[in-house]
Amino acid sequence: MRTSIIQAFAVALLGCVIAFTHNAVSVNGINPFRRIGDVPVLGVEEWGTEDGLHFLTLEEVRSSLASGAMLIDSRTEDEYAEGHIPDAINLDYFEMGKYLDRVLPAISSDRGIIIYCTGLDCDDSEMLARELYLLGFRNLFCFRGGLEEWENSGLPVETGSESAGYGESG
Amino acid sequence: MGRVDRSMQWREALFGIETAGRGTDAGRWIYNPYLLLVFRLVLAAVFIYAAFLKIGKPVSFAEEIKMYGILDAGPTLYIVAIVLPWIELLCGLSFISGFFMRGAALIFIVLNAVFLVFVSIRTGYIMNGEGIAFLEVYFDCGCGFGSTYAWKKILEDFLFLLFSGILFAAPVYRFVLVPARAGR
Repeated sequence: MRTSIIQAFAVALLGCVIAFTHNAVSVNGINPFRRIGDVPVLGVEEWGTEDGLHFLTLEEVRSSLASGAMLIDSRTEDEYAEGHIPDAINLDYFEMGKYLDRVLPAISSDRGIIIYCTGLDCDDSEMLARELYLLGFRNLFCFRGGLEEWENSGLPVETGSESAGYGESG
Repeated sequence: MGRVDRSMQWREALFGIETAGRGTDAGRWIYNPYLLLVFRLVLAAVFIYAAFLKIGKPVSFAEEIKMYGILDAGPTLYIVAIVLPWIELLCGLSFISGFFMRGAALIFIVLNAVFLVFVSIRTGYIMNGEGIAFLEVYFDCGCGFGSTYAWKKILEDFLFLLFSGILFAAPVYRFVLVPARAGR
C-alpha cells in the first residue's frame, strides 16, 4: 500500500508540474489566483457612481446601442456564426486567449461594453465581463436575456462568422 | 541484498509487479491477465480521450465543474481545472505502459469515487429542482462527452471504479513495458 501511495503522489506531482507549465505557455492559460469573484456587481442605484458590472434589460440594451455602446457575443465561434445580434463582436469566453489579440484593440471602455450569451441559463457573459474587468476595462454591462430574449422580441439577427461592425471597430 | 532482490524491488516500485505476498489471489478469474489488460485499455482509452478534450481549456472545464455547485469561481476551482486533465492523461498512459500502474489505479479509485458522489448529488438536486424521476435526469457531466442520462453516467462511473479497484488489487500485472534491466 505504501508503494501505491508513493506512486500515486508521484503521478499527481508530475501531473501538476506538467499542467502548470502547459498553462503558463498555453494561449488559453489562466491565472488561477485572479480574484474573479471579487468583481463588484452593481445594483440600479449604484449605476454610474461605482466601478463594477451592471445588468441591463432589453430596453436598456437598445437605448445603449443607440447611444454608441458596443456589443460582445461571449458564445463559441460556431454559435456566433449561426446567429448573433447585429454588429456584435465574437469573443468566445471559453477560449479567450485565442481572440484577445484580435478583439482587445477593438474594445473601448469609452463606448460602454455590453456582453451577452445565450440567455438566462448561461452566465458566460457575466464571467467574460469579470475577466474584462480584471484586464482593466470599465463600463461593462451584461445583457442577461441574451440572444434568446432578443430573438423572442422579434429583433433582427445576423448570421456569419464576422459582423459588419467588426471591421468598423477593428 | 542481492542483485535479484534489488531488481524485484525496483520492478515492484515502478510497475507494481509483485512476485510474492499476494500469490494466494493469483488464481481468481477476475485477475486473469487478459481481463486485466482489457480493463486497463478501456480505462486508458476513456480517460486519455477525456483528458485531450479538456487540456488547454481550463475556463471551459472550470465552468463545467462549477455546475455541480460544489466549487465557486476561485483558485481551487481553476487549479482543479488546470491539473485534473493532465493527471487523467498520465494515469491513462500509466495503464498502457505499466509504469506506476498501482498508483494510477489508486488515483482512479479516488477520482471515480469523488465523481460518483458529485454526480449523485447533482442528480438529486436536478430531481428535486425540476421534480423529475431519476431515469429522466439528463445533463452534461462535464466529462467531455456531452450530455447524457444521469443513470448511464452513474453506471459507467461505477464500472470504472470497479475496474480501477480490481487493477489496484491485482496480485500480478502482465503485458507491461519492462525495461531490459528489470528482466535480468
